[in-house]
Amino acid sequence: MKGPIISGAIILAGVFIFLKFLLPLFTAPLPASLIYLYLALALSGIMIFGTMSAPSLEALMGPIFRFLSGQGQSGMGQVARVAVLVMFPLLVGWQTYTRLAPSDLPPAENRTIHPAPPGEFVGLSNPYPKTPENIMMGKGLYAAYCSPCHGANFDGKGPAAPGFNPPPANFSDPGTIAQLQEAYLFWRIKKGGVGLPVEGMPWKSAMPRWEVELPEEFIWKIIMGEYDGAHQSPRTWEEEE
Amino acid sequence: MLNGQRILRTISIIGLFGVLGFSPGFASEPPPPGETGSVSVRMYQLEGSLPSDDPNSSQWDSVPGSEFKLAPQVHWPPRIQDVTVNSVKVKGVHNGQELAILVEYEDPTEDAADAAALEFMVGDKPAHFAHGQEMLQVEGGPVNIWFWKKENGKAVDMSAKGFKTLQAQPKQDVQAKGAWQNGIWKVVFSRSLKTDDTQDVQIEPGEWRSVAFAFWDGAIVDGLVKEKGGQKAVSSWWYIRAEPSRDNSIFGWVILGLALAAAFELVIVRKLRKGQSV
Repeated sequence: MKGPIISGAIILAGVFIFLKFLLPLFTAPLPASLIYLYLALALSGIMIFGTMSAPSLEALMGPIFRFLSGQGQSGMGQVARVAVLVMFPLLVGWQTYTRLAPSDLPPAENRTIHPAPPGEFVGLSNPYPKTPENIMMGKGLYAAYCSPCHGANFDGKGPAAPGFNPPPANFSDPGTIAQLQEAYLFWRIKKGGVGLPVEGMPWKSAMPRWEVELPEEFIWKIIMGEYDGAHQSPRTWEEEE
Repeated sequence: MLNGQRILRTISIIGLFGVLGFSPGFASEPPPPGETGSVSVRMYQLEGSLPSDDPNSSQWDSVPGSEFKLAPQVHWPPRIQDVTVNSVKVKGVHNGQELAILVEYEDPTEDAADAAALEFMVGDKPAHFAHGQEMLQVEGGPVNIWFWKKENGKAVDMSAKGFKTLQAQPKQDVQAKGAWQNGIWKVVFSRSLKTDDTQDVQIEPGEWRSVAFAFWDGAIVDGLVKEKGGQKAVSSWWYIRAEPSRDNSIFGWVILGLALAAAFELVIVRKLRKGQSV
């Protein structure tokens, strides 16, 4: 049985395999809802193509209509038809149940990991030169104050890390301090978790508000030690003109 | 020869099948599970009395638990770098009126100053897990702390909103009982799901609340208590919920969905049989 139904099914399967399995080889996996949307669009395209003329409509829908009406069917065809007619209401019932059944999952958390800093911290630059002495002092301060959570290896795996949610940042991950400017780290270290805006969920953060314990000089040098120890470079200002 | 009406009908039928049958399931994805241990405590609903005054009651054996990692309190001075209790198992039950929460953790010695505490957010405003301390850009709320200490043998119902504001409430609503055996503390806290005290967390079955944990090893080391005050094992916020009563109205909706889908099929098949045209 060759025809537009088989071709359509092959196209849909191809689109699904491409989106679900091939695309993630090159980029982030797509959410299932987006894959569904693309499949629905592909199906619409197939339907529009198949219903352009009466003969193409007959070729596309005729077998489906004859299958559903059951006229002239026998044997396996009859069994398949009954199975489809029984399965469809069951599927709707199951979807209704999964939609309405109370979830045991806690509320989803859309926490912004790197929210925008307050204006007074934008554009600050480290006033201390990157000398070996300053970097070494920064690493020493890091070991004393930061490493219990962020780890001696700057990987967020310090001895205190497992108890906290959200977990301490992993500075060796290219998605953390490498994406940020020194001014941003200065804000986060100085004001700590309680300095976050609401989208950063400050009530969950164990990051201390270091301004009450450390002078600014220490904070700037810790930043230097962090970048050096994690083998990352701060993001810098692009030339605007 | 185009038949516009027929084409439109065809498209709408296929679309209806698609929307009814598939979209909700594909569109909803569960969030990924937590990487380290549990993310929530589920208080299971029981009939009758709860094992509130017996941490070793066999009733607890059949209750599934959650496990949470703990950290030395390094958020605020006085810090501590090494604590005795590194994780806690938590079980919860309720009967629609009362609740009981069992915490179970390793502590090699039984000491007078051993202590355990549960902390809850109170009200609608988020509170920082460290005693509801002040946040700079967000107005926070208070916390309710249920504190048990071995030497007192009972719980203290406390409130805090910021450091140095922790105090016992005028109205005490919480009970606790601890039992130490073979290096394991089991402490069961109990209370009514709801109280008439605005300083208390109110537990509504089916609704999520935030909970955090703290434990102190009161062993005497070099003449001093090893862990006390801010020097303790802590967690940040996790979730807790009293299981809601089963809602049987769901099955009514499921039957309605089934009936509608079957009726829809019936109409289609009848139309097809009549004239091979939908």
